[in-house]
Amino acid sequence: MHFRLFVCLVALLLPTVPGRAQLKWDNPAQQFQRTPADEGIEAFYTFRNVGKLPVTITGLRASCGCTTPHLEKKTYAPGETGTVTARFVFGDRKGPQHKTIEVSTDEEGAPPVVLDLRVLIHDPLSIEPTLVYWKRGEPGEAKTMQLTAEAGQPVRIKNVISSNPRLPAKLVTVKAGESYVVSVKPADTAQKEVGEIFVLTDFPADAPRTYILQARVK
Amino acid sequence: MIARLLRQLAFVLVLALAPALVSGAWQLAWKKEEPLAPGEVRLATAREWGDKVQWVDARSRAKYERTHLPGALLLNEDEWDTLVKPFIDEWDSDKTLVVYCDGGTCDASHAVAARIRKELSIPDVYVLKGGFAEWEGK
Repeated sequence: MHFRLFVCLVALLLPTVPGRAQLKWDNPAQQFQRTPADEGIEAFYTFRNVGKLPVTITGLRASCGCTTPHLEKKTYAPGETGTVTARFVFGDRKGPQHKTIEVSTDEEGAPPVVLDLRVLIHDPLSIEPTLVYWKRGEPGEAKTMQLTAEAGQPVRIKNVISSNPRLPAKLVTVKAGESYVVSVKPADTAQKEVGEIFVLTDFPADAPRTYILQARVK
Repeated sequence: MIARLLRQLAFVLVLALAPALVSGAWQLAWKKEEPLAPGEVRLATAREWGDKVQWVDARSRAKYERTHLPGALLLNEDEWDTLVKPFIDEWDSDKTLVVYCDGGTCDASHAVAARIRKELSIPDVYVLKGGFAEWEGK
């Protein structure tokens, strides 16, 4: 009697117990360092079906439209290996990036596996902020933007030019090749003003880059 | 004999009730509103702000062109360098920015909001909880 009751109980509870994942991933979290010039990266996530039944991958969902996951085929027999390829296109992204790809399978009760992709996109020159603004009527005090070259990668600022003479920009060298300040002081804040500040650098030597900063009286 | 059978049946039903109650409680908890992460705002709150809100669409240009929230400005990381100037030109410094992406697991709204705060030094920025899907009522 007790045995029958036990069987009933197990039968009732069985669907609530999560299954054991059959796909074993070699390196589900990957990190890279790149520059904006690389434009993108491909990461490869290999796995093996270590279970006794075929597994079908039913869905791949990336956390960002910039990341496209790809799989050669969907169903993997026991012992078979496969690879999820994730193509991350940088666009105009900078700094630390964290993208994920959620992999769902037909394994009953198994939660989706989350693949992790971290990329540090180095820009040789970091600028903060890239916008200075004043509200109309606000005191027209000078506002600054900090320019910092990455350690070991000197970037010299050759000049700064403002497109609007009513929003003049001044370059202050804190440490040549390493640290600079661009200071903008409006003539006044009585009316709307639009200005672009062109920062001329010597990097890279073959095609020196110009950064464009923004100044406004709103 | 029948009484015994009924007792056993009642016993099995009581046993079955326990996981059912746990599962029900779990479902109810799951349906409860997720807590807001730092910098997020619910749609209802943003609607209460009315005209003070400037929507910012952090999705792709194609999705923005297909449909977007009323008056939304396009600013995404794919084309940040191109879009940031027109965004600044259109931005009204008296309005609160609310950034959205698709919803679900999308992270573009948080990334764009972070860049607006850090790179543009605009502090009054929120992320719409649930994103565009929330607006569409999905």
